[in-house]
Amino acid sequence: MGDVLQPSTRINLEKAVVLVLDDNGASLDILSQVVSGFGVKQLYRAESVKDAQALVKTKTFDLVISDVQMPEVDGVEFIQWLRREASEPNRYIPVILVTGHTRKPDVLRIRDAGANFTVAKPITPKVLLERIYWVAREERAFIECPTFVGPDRRFKHEGPPPGTDGRRRDDLPAEVGDAQEPNMSQEEINNLMRPAKVQVS
Amino acid sequence: MSVRKFHPANRLGAMIKQKGGMLVQNAIAAAEAGVESLREASLKSLDDTLTEMEARFGLKADRSDAAFEDLYALCLRIVDVAGFASETGVDKAIMSFCNLVDNCAEAGTWRWDSVDVHLDALRLLRSVGAQLPPADRANMLEGLYRVSGFRPGES
Repeated sequence: MGDVLQPSTRINLEKAVVLVLDDNGASLDILSQVVSGFGVKQLYRAESVKDAQALVKTKTFDLVISDVQMPEVDGVEFIQWLRREASEPNRYIPVILVTGHTRKPDVLRIRDAGANFTVAKPITPKVLLERIYWVAREERAFIECPTFVGPDRRFKHEGPPPGTDGRRRDDLPAEVGDAQEPNMSQEEINNLMRPAKVQVS
Repeated sequence: MSVRKFHPANRLGAMIKQKGGMLVQNAIAAAEAGVESLREASLKSLDDTLTEMEARFGLKADRSDAAFEDLYALCLRIVDVAGFASETGVDKAIMSFCNLVDNCAEAGTWRWDSVDVHLDALRLLRSVGAQLPPADRANMLEGLYRVSGFRPGES
């Protein structure tokens, strides 16, 4: 994750089956145009969670891009449903949430929804393609437990401080190991910083 | 508590590397061209929504039973298309407005003076924001942020 996407990188999304979900038609049009521009041929649009659920029940998708704020059932609830109740393999597909403005009560809900990434609106093609590239190269494990289903929310493995709850067996130890080589001498350090004459031709 | 940790097959990862496809620079250019084709319709949507906001929540509206969720939903509708008006500052002002309405909803009380300031600012920015000297536009947005408590980069 986090690799910079180079302009000269080649990507192939021709066979990807993508679902985009947004209750605002104008926003759905923008998302659809962006995704189509990336070469996606099989794009399915949904303007409500109900429509999206119906599609997920009948088709196999490779990527879901969903708005967060929607009336009645929102994007967070949709992803929670997808992760817990959809059939395989749709249950494990990469999900990118897009959000215009995150309300305070929604910050933790979005974090715990089970999406791979969240992207802020207004959407730009560059940012969205970068996130798609990241989820395609996703290396995080998938977690299933009673309180969370989705990609591991941790990107690093330091874990919480030792002695506190929530540390895992594979978190990095807090102690720094002994040095493997002797310290540099003062003379060696001085030599690193000593001005040197250079010949200018 | 039982925790299952595993790596499901990532079909997207397999197909994105397949031969063919397109260069990233071409994909982005094609997407930008597609989005650009929606400019006119999107700006019309922005203007229609702003007009609806003023009619339902402006100074002349009957605000006695105004609902936070309704105004917030209209704000989000503008956020969706605000990328087309980024040179005016509307994209930033609307985020400040979202924050204000969210704060009002959380407190359970309206701050109508602040709502009016944001509506006026949005209308002004939409009309002449692109022609304003950048420093003036920045000062105007900074004033809105102070009213709404919005901190760019945190939302």
